[in-house]
Amino acid sequence: MQTSAPPASPDRNLCSDHCGEHPTVWDLPHIPLGLKREWLDLETRRHFLGKGVKALGWAGLATLLGRSAPNLLANSAIPGAPAMVPHYAPKAKRAIYLFMAGSPSQFETWDYKPALADMFDKDLPESVRGGQTLTGMTASQTRFPIAPSIYKFARHGEAGRFISELFPYTAKVSDELCVIKSLHTDAINHEPAILQLTTGNMFPGKPSIGSWLSYGLGAMNEELPTFVVMTSKMPHRTNVQALSNRLWSSGFLSPEHAAVALRSGSDPVLYLNNPKGVESDVRRAMIDGVNDLNRQLFDRVGDPEINARISQYEMAFRMQTSVPELTDFSNEPQSTWDLYGPRAKEPGTFAYNCLMARRLAERGVRFTQIFLRSWDQHSRLPTNIKLMAQDSDQPTYALVTDLKRRGLLDDTVVIWGGEFGRTVYSQGTLTPENYGRDHHPRCFSMWMAGGGVKPGISYGETDDFSYNIVKDPMHIRDLHATILHLFGLDHNKLSFKFQGLDQKLTGVLPTKVIHDLLA
Amino acid sequence: MICSHNVGRASARFFRGKHACIQGGLKPALLLALALAPVARADDTFFEKRVAPIFEQKCVACHGEKKQKGKLRLDSFAHLMRGGEAGAVVKAGEPKESELFLRVTLHPEDEDFMPADSKPPLTKDEVKVLELWIAAGASETTPVAAIKGAPAPTAPKAPTLALAPDWRPRAAQIAQLEKVLGVRLVARSLVPTDGLVLRTASAPTRCDDAVLAKLAPVADLIVEAELARTKITDAGLAALAACRNLRTIDLTRTGVTSAGLGKLAMFTKLESINLTSTGVDLATVAQLRAQPGLKRLWAFDTPAEK
Repeated sequence: MQTSAPPASPDRNLCSDHCGEHPTVWDLPHIPLGLKREWLDLETRRHFLGKGVKALGWAGLATLLGRSAPNLLANSAIPGAPAMVPHYAPKAKRAIYLFMAGSPSQFETWDYKPALADMFDKDLPESVRGGQTLTGMTASQTRFPIAPSIYKFARHGEAGRFISELFPYTAKVSDELCVIKSLHTDAINHEPAILQLTTGNMFPGKPSIGSWLSYGLGAMNEELPTFVVMTSKMPHRTNVQALSNRLWSSGFLSPEHAAVALRSGSDPVLYLNNPKGVESDVRRAMIDGVNDLNRQLFDRVGDPEINARISQYEMAFRMQTSVPELTDFSNEPQSTWDLYGPRAKEPGTFAYNCLMARRLAERGVRFTQIFLRSWDQHSRLPTNIKLMAQDSDQPTYALVTDLKRRGLLDDTVVIWGGEFGRTVYSQGTLTPENYGRDHHPRCFSMWMAGGGVKPGISYGETDDFSYNIVKDPMHIRDLHATILHLFGLDHNKLSFKFQGLDQKLTGVLPTKVIHDLLA
Repeated sequence: MICSHNVGRASARFFRGKHACIQGGLKPALLLALALAPVARADDTFFEKRVAPIFEQKCVACHGEKKQKGKLRLDSFAHLMRGGEAGAVVKAGEPKESELFLRVTLHPEDEDFMPADSKPPLTKDEVKVLELWIAAGASETTPVAAIKGAPAPTAPKAPTLALAPDWRPRAAQIAQLEKVLGVRLVARSLVPTDGLVLRTASAPTRCDDAVLAKLAPVADLIVEAELARTKITDAGLAALAACRNLRTIDLTRTGVTSAGLGKLAMFTKLESINLTSTGVDLATVAQLRAQPGLKRLWAFDTPAEK
């Protein structure tokens, strides 16, 4: 199977993932054979212990629930194993997370601050800033002039919520939304902040929300991934941060809980199609052969990663059928295009991705995360935020509306927001027509809809400068705990032992489910 | 004398509370009846009816008969007024100068915040009740009606009702049916009487009327039926009638018609039905909507909405 020339030792088969990509101990010269064998013994002993403990754990669970053990092995990487059971009956079965990467300003969107209109170009009182450390981008400014929103707000919906004129479409579904104005985070720069939002931790290597849900609840549709990520074409490109798969990785959880990134265009999942000349039955026979070898190896060493590999081959094979059906929009009626707008026909646009998210929800995909970048408006904010809003407003409204009319919003939670907020003061020169805003972690706005979230309400309040929270602060951890709660999961119980700790999405700091947000 | 009389009243109340807990083995209907029994009497005091229950629920585990952290007990009016090791905790008329009130309104991450150790905090309504009571003089005898503006008491939590019989005795049968029929029967939660979800999303086209008929041995366990895109027809709906505990049914994009849906009145517990992209007509939708208990119905993309 391997192209490099291994020594004849049968022990060479130990690491099926090796594939000649990098050397193992066996490839290193000048190491006595005895030492190499000792390494192998240790490796095997570790695997054996791991296997034994897991087998015991499964037996215990099975007794507890009175079900046969194989039915409970969703997390054990055994292909086709059914889902784990929520701690309590869930309100949400799926989530669609519209991630506005770069972070839209709260001032031009959801946190209406009318009093600022009279404070144009006045200095932000030092008492408000409270000695906060600023980013290198504005720390050296001699002044912090207040920049009121150039965009107007009006009341919408029965709740009479103030919404910016940038979102005329989303405003139509105002009564479905629960707007949170008091989120706060720990990071002031993009990468740590976006990691904290997506994985609960500023440092890479932790599983993302979708991976935790996959691990905790398993798949509803085993023909498609449980967790799907899409990135969107940008209407303009300014200060665009790179996205990487550590935002949707499974961290220390088994790799099958990582997201599958759907690409736009004719090849939505890379390398999914059979190469020319390889027919489906040949591919099937090949996968069967590889799986057989992998199973033999698993029987010998008991490494769960091997089963993860088997399940990924199987998932890829199933996706050869399920993905073309998923991405074939030809059966969508004209009313769909009217709702999502003409851009929905263009693969990779935010509108296309929103429609895809609805199709994924219909088919039982648990967690879909759509990234839209370029909200990072340090300068020329009035112009650029308008471009972003114009690109995303109608599709966002369409998604909420479409889910609602199809009866899917009841058990699908939609989440909209960036990784932090922005400053009340202008970064760079302030004029009546132009300003920029720097990063601001102390408060920012997001909204949620559906899936057991209380519709039509606002939660939390900020001061007149949207600089500090004055009522009901809600940390990212609280958001995560609340999302898990909607899925019937207790954030303190959904854990995975790693590096000697019972690791959780919400970490070890005090965290609370925000019950005021629940319908 | 007045004082001891009051203590007697308060402890009687707590005794009743404990008594109700001991009766956990009562039939749910009886418990429900107890919980819903009318309580307001003219001589009910605000302390007994509104304040003491908060202490009992959130505080006495650490400040009661068994433990007295900070030498404070909150299991009677007398103990409350005696205060803790740092003195009085209530200053009548001044909530903002009362230690008791301050401690429960600190930031939850403050080390002096109560209840400590991430135990469930007081709700906003409970904080308001405390504030109003202290502001009104922190008296034991003030009647309920004399303190205006208190949030309505939350109804005592109804005992969890069984949605379906316990599925565990039939676990082997469930596993066998899943294997043979290619559908999933998933527990809705760790509560074994929360019922099962009939899940078909992995292979909806494998689920047809014949499959539904074969689910008869576990039909009473199914609380949610996810049948979108399946091959189910009106004939299958008749077979579903055995699912007498069904609350939610999704028939999106199936071949069911008004003829079969007319029979849905059989599902007396049905709360939610999704008929998106089916052939249902207006008359049938109206008939279904009239069904008592039905809370949600969707008929998007059907003759009923055209």
